[in-house]
Amino acid sequence: MSEENTPQQTPETVPDVSQFCPKGDVLVVAEHILGELQPVTLELLGAGRILADKMERKLICIVMGHEIGDIPQKMIEYGADKVYVADHEALKNYRTLPYRRVLVDFLESLPEPPHTTLLGSTTTGRDLAPRIAAHFDTGLTADCTELDIGPYEHKSKVDPTKIGLYPNCLYAIRPSFGESLKARILGPWKNPQMATTRPGVMIPNKPDSNKKGEIVKVPVNLKEDDTRLVVEETIREMSKGIKLTEADVIVAGGYGLGTVEGFELVKKLAACFENSAIGASRKVVDLGWIPYQHQIGQTGKTVRPKLYIACGISGAIQHRVGMSKSNIIIAINKDPDAAIFKFAHHGIVGDCYQIIPEMIKQLQENKVKREVEAVVGTH
Amino acid sequence: MSGYNIFVLVKQVPDQGSKAGINPDGTIDRAKAKRMLNPFDRYALQAALHTKKSYGGTVTAISMGPPPAVEILMEALEHGVDRGFLLSDRRLAASDTLATAYALYKTVLYAGKFDIIFCGLQTTDGDTAQVGPQLAERLNLPQITYCEDFAIENGRVQARRIIEGGIQRVSTGMPVLVTVANSYHPLEYKSFRGAWRVQQLARRQEELKQYIQTIDLDLIGADVERCGLKGSPTIVAATEKVGEIGGSCTMHEGHSPDEMVKEIIKSTGIREYLVAK
Ligand SMILES: Cc1cc2nc3c(=O)[nH]c(=O)nc-3n(C[C@H](O)[C@H](O)[C@H](O)COP(=O)(O)OP(=O)(O)OC[C@H]3O[C@@H](n4cnc5c(N)ncnc54)[C@H](O)[C@@H]3O)c2cc1C
Repeated sequence: MSEENTPQQTPETVPDVSQFCPKGDVLVVAEHILGELQPVTLELLGAGRILADKMERKLICIVMGHEIGDIPQKMIEYGADKVYVADHEALKNYRTLPYRRVLVDFLESLPEPPHTTLLGSTTTGRDLAPRIAAHFDTGLTADCTELDIGPYEHKSKVDPTKIGLYPNCLYAIRPSFGESLKARILGPWKNPQMATTRPGVMIPNKPDSNKKGEIVKVPVNLKEDDTRLVVEETIREMSKGIKLTEADVIVAGGYGLGTVEGFELVKKLAACFENSAIGASRKVVDLGWIPYQHQIGQTGKTVRPKLYIACGISGAIQHRVGMSKSNIIIAINKDPDAAIFKFAHHGIVGDCYQIIPEMIKQLQENKVKREVEAVVGTH
Repeated sequence: MSGYNIFVLVKQVPDQGSKAGINPDGTIDRAKAKRMLNPFDRYALQAALHTKKSYGGTVTAISMGPPPAVEILMEALEHGVDRGFLLSDRRLAASDTLATAYALYKTVLYAGKFDIIFCGLQTTDGDTAQVGPQLAERLNLPQITYCEDFAIENGRVQARRIIEGGIQRVSTGMPVLVTVANSYHPLEYKSFRGAWRVQQLARRQEELKQYIQTIDLDLIGADVERCGLKGSPTIVAATEKVGEIGGSCTMHEGHSPDEMVKEIIKSTGIREYLVAK
């Protein structure tokens, strides 16, 4: 699209890119729920540590909340050099405007703006990061799956004011076009460079309880405007009893089951396997076919079983992020073009109501056969 | 009470489901691609129309894009939207989310007074979910993102939103910006009357202009330096095709269920996990 802009003449003076080579550190904005650091924050500390080391800078963090216990200490163990803590009753629950205020004030108070600022692509990170980026008129790359830092030479003729060699450019890579492409998004001419990263992608450091770091309190000065929105109630359904994350086999059902009764089949199929559990897509959880604890995906659980059988699930990205690391994925879907066939290992194109009962039947026969083999084998 | 001034932001996106206009490398040839209303915006549209129906008021649809994007504003009119604005200007080419949010901010100010702005959660061609919050920042509004239930009680907005591992109920006064999740109610079918009326209108271009106005950066007084590539702090430096995720899928299709299941059991080692007695 850029070719539509008519190239302009090169200015007499080449722009001075040194103003875009800030000395600042790498900042991670922490996320925690009920006193528990979110896994994505630990992942960000891992990724942020690599970036900071590459530039020989510090990895700093900010934690906002109320009565946050030993979270700052834990962040140091996971790689942070310095943790800033904003503790205030009004920050107990995440709310856009108070968190925005604290973060903006904090960033403005730093002697040097961060070189790079990272948040998780969670409902919280995706709510907060864009506002911060808009406030500072800086770039923000969403949902990154890879991050790196290095020199970048920008040669675009379209905007000659940006031509130059940028020494520490954040290379942010994100999937695009329905996951078919990896796009490399760059923006070294504005600071801080910002990105959110997808949960479950970056690798956390091993905690080191001997690691030293600094914990610093930051002031919280909210304005009346910041409390325009009130949180009336927060409901988190923490998983109890269902060991989805420990199961070897997960049989998951989606909207393609058609009715709540479909889950009876799913349960029967799951019962064929040792150490199995039942999963579900969000759509059927929302419909009340099965409790929330079974939900797999972005707003549910992330699982890595040895075998995942998806029955009547379309494979939306929000579902996929929760299960794509499974060892073997078998998908049953009647639509040969369903997205799930793009990442499943085995696909059966067919109706759940024909395939699942057949599978149960054959597996039961197989079990009998296997027992016979085992018996034969011992002789 | 004359009801609420409700704005809804909509975008035309390439239809990724259709094979038309998809280049061999997976990129989209926007000129050839089939175009459609961003699927996420259908929920925003439903929220806007439902709010109008329940509490009274008018719905204004706002879009930014090349001239064909007028199609989705027509579609919005068919569904019962009262008027639409299309911001169309070549100088908007290659806008990133920051530049887009700035241009939409100027458009919203041009379009007049509002109480609620509904946006889709994200688009299917950008997937960032950033434009809504960035617009809220420019307008200094409270925001409710990932909203899946919306009501107004005693002049206050009551909403339910998705959070990590749960939900949150929030309330706020107006004006407010809301991004609507796809767990909100699906868009209802348009009425025959609505569709017929717009079809008639489409034949009378002059009259149509009273309902859908195409505007440009000069008219809304936008700073062109903050728009398009110039106003974008990020660029797409390169794209690379990704292989099929998780390897290629072995497809079992076209046989009887009995045969397909046999194949699966043979080729996957699934028997290893069977309950042992
Ligand atoms: C912020 C946000 C967070 C989200 N978080 C999650 C999450 O954590 N987890 C999650 O799963 N989703 C999540 N979603 C929702 C997600 O986008 C999808 O809407 C959801 O995963 C779709 O569920 P589904 O595949 O069961 O239903 P559908 O998309 O309706 O798919 C049903 C599938 O079943 C097939 N089918 C129909 N009938 C049959 C049959 N008889 N036999 C075989 N196949 C059949 C169809 O071809 C279709 O592919 C989230 C969405 C948002 C906006």
